[in-house]
Amino acid sequence: MRIELAGAVVAACAAAPTSVFAVDYMSAEQAARLMFPDADRLEARDVVLDAAQLQALAAHGINARSARWPVTIARRGPTTLGYVVADAVVGKFELIGYAVGVALDGAVTQVEILSYRESHGGEIRLPAWRRQFAGKTAESPMRVGEDIANISGATLSCTHVTDGVRRIVAVVQAAAKSGSLR
Amino acid sequence: MTSKRWQGAAASAAMATGLALSSAPATAQSNDAQAALAARLDQLAAELAAVKAELARLQQQQAANAAPVANVPATVPIATVTASAAVAAQGAGLVAEPTTVLTSYGEINYNRPTRDSKNAVSDVRRFVLGYQHRFDEKTKVVTELEVEHAVSSSSDPGEVEVEQAYIERQLTSKVAARAGLFLMPFGLLNENHEPTAFYGVERNFVETAIIPSTWREGGLQFVVGFDNGLAAQAGVTTGFDLGKWDATSTKGAASPLGAIHQELALAKARDLSVFGALNWRGVPGLLVGASLFTGGATHGETVASSRVTLWDLHARYTPGRWDLSSVYSRGTISNTPDFNTPLVGSQALIPKCFDGWYGQAAYHLWSEGDYALAPFVRWEQFNTARSFADLGAGLTPPAARTERVITVGTNFNIGSSIVLKADYQRFREKTDNNRLDLGLGWSF
Repeated sequence: MRIELAGAVVAACAAAPTSVFAVDYMSAEQAARLMFPDADRLEARDVVLDAAQLQALAAHGINARSARWPVTIARRGPTTLGYVVADAVVGKFELIGYAVGVALDGAVTQVEILSYRESHGGEIRLPAWRRQFAGKTAESPMRVGEDIANISGATLSCTHVTDGVRRIVAVVQAAAKSGSLR
Repeated sequence: MTSKRWQGAAASAAMATGLALSSAPATAQSNDAQAALAARLDQLAAELAAVKAELARLQQQQAANAAPVANVPATVPIATVTASAAVAAQGAGLVAEPTTVLTSYGEINYNRPTRDSKNAVSDVRRFVLGYQHRFDEKTKVVTELEVEHAVSSSSDPGEVEVEQAYIERQLTSKVAARAGLFLMPFGLLNENHEPTAFYGVERNFVETAIIPSTWREGGLQFVVGFDNGLAAQAGVTTGFDLGKWDATSTKGAASPLGAIHQELALAKARDLSVFGALNWRGVPGLLVGASLFTGGATHGETVASSRVTLWDLHARYTPGRWDLSSVYSRGTISNTPDFNTPLVGSQALIPKCFDGWYGQAAYHLWSEGDYALAPFVRWEQFNTARSFADLGAGLTPPAARTERVITVGTNFNIGSSIVLKADYQRFREKTDNNRLDLGLGWSF
């Protein structure tokens, strides 16, 4: 029996770990500050999409899921820096909280994982995976297996977060076009 | 009506009260006037209380609607800036997170040997029900109950099995522990064995004949991750029981470890085993990993002792529409001469070594809405008796011939939870096993 071996492995692994299984990593506010550090204020705005906007999104394959979307507008003085939308999707069994930063031109600036509860697949928190979204717009495919690489063992988490980011980018674009985010 | 409007109404009521007080002539305080004023004050006080109650109700309702997932303050100042600010709460159209989740997966397969069609079978290969229940933010229980081959009774081929039953506890924000009956972190399939997670109607041979998926043991394990994408798992578990080897059965030749696994069913546990697994996912789309398991398998029941050791190397790379994967696994059983000598002449002796590998390439060819088509090809080589320990001239069985199987087929997904499969498998050694497979699977 090699219990000593297991103990040594565990001790070595615990030396410098990251928080793969932590439940809550950051709040929506912390994510917004991280994404727009130059902002001097964060303004909450409830965007309500009308029927025509929802239909237009559906025509592009986007299920908006809700007409009402809380959006945080990052401002510095009179200047708008960008938008942050915090959301949650079901991974394999449990909810994954995440936030998406969107620039004024509609491109994703950053994706942050706010909470992760699944037993497997916490690697979606890795910066290398989240960086794949930087610069993506509503015109990008943003699909796992196309322009977003999968994580083996976390296919559903990857797919559902990717679908969520695609949805948020489309909603922000629709809201910005209608003037709801001024 | 917004809260600001309610606040305005309350202010108006207070102002009206002040005006009413100031306008009352001090010199003409008749009893009637005092009574009227008192009545008016009472009325205003009642209205103000009603306004306050309504305001509180609306604020509570607004908070409940705005923050279904996380409690986020309505006003958030940034650093030293004093300007008012706020962060939009997360979650559009979300409901509160459930603490208990029902899970399930199933496979219904059809196998038709092309050279021996009378042996065609259709089978509910697996039907699994499970639940996950979260006791609190740090602790949950995960279970799966499986029925194989549809009907389980003394006269039917089915089995009922507890496939998983463990508690997972987040010890710190950095380390999690699992205790109970859990899947062993080996290869690519064992921990991700739902039909929607692998290509082909049947699970590949390497991860059934060499790695005995669905392989689970009872014990304790720790799971840790690192910022560079490395994840480590290690633990102490039950192991195999060499006393279960049946030399008159073909089960051992089909899967040596599948013939002696215990599945935590009154598992002999004098000899415990240890395992470790490392998986690196530092580059998006790439997984490289290795696993090792070793432990005694005789539990003090025989004079001689024996150790079972299994290890594997695995990799998966998914660049764009491609899905490329490979697994190599090798197992050994020590001191087999002591156990094989009395079995000489029997159908199946205990091998000293067994191994196998496969390479697989799939391509996400087409998708439209919920539909997606991914053809694949897989090449496997495996040998469940690569070698036998020497028993002496004329007594040592010859090594088995290495089986080579090519599988060509396709997965057709409907959404992420349903899959239809079709493939053809061609065997180089046991050509009578060549077969056409059809399958239906689901998972949620």
